[in-house]
Amino acid sequence: MAAQAQIDVGGILRPQGRPDFPTALQPHHGPLGERAAAHLLRRAGFGGAPDDIRRYAAMRAQDAVAALLDIPSPTSIAPPQQLDELTHPLSMATDPLQRTMLDQPMTMTRRKTFREHMQVIFALQLWWLNRMLTTPAPLQEKMTFYFHGHFTSLATPLFPWITYNQNALFRRYALGNLRELTRDVSKDAAMLIYLNGAQNVAAHPNENYARELMELFTLGVDHYTENDVRESARAWTGWRVDRRSDTVTLDASQHDSGVKTFLGRTGNFTGDDVVNVIFEQHQCARFFAASLLSWFVYNDPEPQLVDSVAAILRRHDFELRPVLSTLLSSSVFYSARAYRALVKSPVEFVIGTYKTLGLPAVDQSALPALQQMGQRLYFPPSVAGWPGGQNWITSGTMIARQNFLTRLLGSQTLAASSWLRGLPVTSASAARALAETILQGDAAPASFVELESYLGGTGSAALASLSLENYYQRVRGAAYLAMATPAYQLN
Amino acid sequence: MKRRSFLLGTASGLAVVANTEHVFAKALAQAPLPGLPGSADRCLVVINLYGGNDGLNCIVPHGDERYYQVRPALAIARNDVLAIDAQVGLNPGMRSLKALYDKGMVAIVQGVGYPNPDHSHFRSTEIWQTAAPDRYEHTGWLGRYFDEASPSQNNLFKGVSVSKVLPEVLVSDRTDIPAIAELGDYAMVADRDASARRAFSNEARDRRLPFDSPYLAHVMEVEGNAQRSSEELPNLVAGYTTKASYPATGLGRSLALAAQIVGSNLGTKAIYVEHGSFDTHVSQVTTQNRLLTQLSNAIGAFYEDLAAHGNDRRVLTLTFSEFGRRIDENGSRGTDHGEASPLFLIGGGVKGGLYGALPDLGSTNMGNVRYTIDFRSVYATVLERWLGRPSATVLDGVFEKLPVLS
Repeated sequence: MAAQAQIDVGGILRPQGRPDFPTALQPHHGPLGERAAAHLLRRAGFGGAPDDIRRYAAMRAQDAVAALLDIPSPTSIAPPQQLDELTHPLSMATDPLQRTMLDQPMTMTRRKTFREHMQVIFALQLWWLNRMLTTPAPLQEKMTFYFHGHFTSLATPLFPWITYNQNALFRRYALGNLRELTRDVSKDAAMLIYLNGAQNVAAHPNENYARELMELFTLGVDHYTENDVRESARAWTGWRVDRRSDTVTLDASQHDSGVKTFLGRTGNFTGDDVVNVIFEQHQCARFFAASLLSWFVYNDPEPQLVDSVAAILRRHDFELRPVLSTLLSSSVFYSARAYRALVKSPVEFVIGTYKTLGLPAVDQSALPALQQMGQRLYFPPSVAGWPGGQNWITSGTMIARQNFLTRLLGSQTLAASSWLRGLPVTSASAARALAETILQGDAAPASFVELESYLGGTGSAALASLSLENYYQRVRGAAYLAMATPAYQLN
Repeated sequence: MKRRSFLLGTASGLAVVANTEHVFAKALAQAPLPGLPGSADRCLVVINLYGGNDGLNCIVPHGDERYYQVRPALAIARNDVLAIDAQVGLNPGMRSLKALYDKGMVAIVQGVGYPNPDHSHFRSTEIWQTAAPDRYEHTGWLGRYFDEASPSQNNLFKGVSVSKVLPEVLVSDRTDIPAIAELGDYAMVADRDASARRAFSNEARDRRLPFDSPYLAHVMEVEGNAQRSSEELPNLVAGYTTKASYPATGLGRSLALAAQIVGSNLGTKAIYVEHGSFDTHVSQVTTQNRLLTQLSNAIGAFYEDLAAHGNDRRVLTLTFSEFGRRIDENGSRGTDHGEASPLFLIGGGVKGGLYGALPDLGSTNMGNVRYTIDFRSVYATVLERWLGRPSATVLDGVFEKLPVLS
């Protein structure tokens, strides 16, 4: 499988060619044009509707990014109704000995509750997908999605409020401060449950969270010692979760208030102090810089580029707004190295398709389709999140992607997609319009030829002479062909 | 296996040389090499008994009075147990499996688990599938086996998952493994439109795109694989006739497809199927007995079908479950999440019998069966002695091999 020399580690590839480091973060000049506008909307959000792309195409990068950075107050966002209706979360006993909530002894009623609560998780998934599709501030959802894959936790079906509240926490920090988010997510109920922080007591420290906090969330392997893990775990002892009310408290009797030596500093540190010490490490800024570059620009970014972005993070005390503003308007972001240099995750693929077609809402059928493509919101495969990149693409997930497109491109979709319904009736212009609107022209010559000949119905009736029903069927098939291309899988 | 290096490596003793020559004489007569680990026609079938299969009511310790004390509502009566010896026997639903056991085709390994057991379905399943209890891995142990063994990339069916979604055990960095829930499912819906299919193939061949991407080659290759494999699969397996009557259950259908894939000689080295849910917090006896009966009957039909085609020795079946269950029953005639549990190795080259220590109901790990055999020992045995590959890289460590294979 494409076992090329450029593969470094698990599915991570770096584009070929050398970037110009001195100018890499300088702003991109001139109006964006449709290709760059579509690129920006795919990366800073989940893709653009044709009208959005046209609107952004006329803007300069810095103005376009300023518009994207204008996000509404998260307090204006209400949770889904299903969650609101869940007024009596749970009449279940919580057994502190049990290591996860799924380890509850279940009576018949409790089992029914579990099923009902899974329905609430499905509702939460659909609610978030619809926010991604319809929000006027896609960057807010894109950052929430980024944090979900970065500071991973599993869904808590028996206590869906806990899952929702973590999602809301990420949204609150979408353009916030990374250090403050790290402090808060460390004391978030979903996180305390997932990485055993709630079982971490002075007498028997549980090191799970302390380790992942450094390895996966802030520093990366080889930037701390086993002793740092032990000392950090001591600082994090005593946090307790009441699952029924989703309240987190510090039980002073279980907290180790003694002196700790952590990353070369000594004091009777609390968890917050541990986060502060971590963020004093230059490696922490480099770690987040590399992570943001891999999410927004391209995978496996060069150390020089990482250092430049890390410097911006440090200069602005880990505030996200300045660094995202720089990244999304930078020359390197609009360079050929970054263009289509990432693989669309299933969520980006699905929401992007709804956006492109101009559909108003994501329905239930998207959930099993996403699962078959390998991504369920709130259920990352491990604490390292979704490996992404090359890992998204297997025979099975490709078939799932194509079949999702075929099923979505039914007659109802066509009725809802005004631009598709209004496609030109000569096959050459219709083919060009499809390739431009869906792919911004990123198609091989053969794709244009095949689209045109498919629309023209070689050997059968020409497009213009078809009955309306047959014409629409042809258009749907052609839209599928444009979306089944390799370019459409790339972000 | 390279004949030359094998002979050179053993040329120090006459007897050994004679012995290897004998192996090769046999091998040549019965090509392809049935006696050697990793020979091309060997296949591993892994059955995931998801939900956490209760070990004590599966391999019943009917000779242990404590079992009847801790399981007043759930214990299986001595008369009902399919006794293997005075100590243990099989769940009464497992008559077909008992028949295979009596033929010496089943190895039962008891007390299999890992250190610091996790009681979450999600995490423990992940641990069994990635074979990484102490770290987070995004690849599965069979996925890493494929990456390490790197069988011909042209073979699109070197591994097959009989499921809708590729399980973590088959996730790899370099090997594309299809998930085929049913033959009819593994298809591109759009392919029903012949002109769309033709157009798709034609456009997929053109690489002159107006941009470059580090992932483009991969995407194009896999798109081609997806279309080719979904198109070819029905023809590749069409010549096979099923020669057993499988139970009309999900697992029955899955194993019928597995036998068809093996019998169609696609070069498939590993097949994954799943069966469950064994998460018996309530009314365990009814649910678990039904599931174990289904398991036993489906495996019985599977080996009958395989044998009728001369394939039974080519297929080693391994079961696993993310954990066993609590020794004490709960108040709902069920059991909660536990730790170590037994597993089965069936068929090809198995040295039938009981392995591992009987669960000690007197010395538990906070009410759970202690593990005495690391599950990675089972994997190491299968990798080295069945699939014929080194296991240390795949499992990130060296684990003792069990004498369960001949």
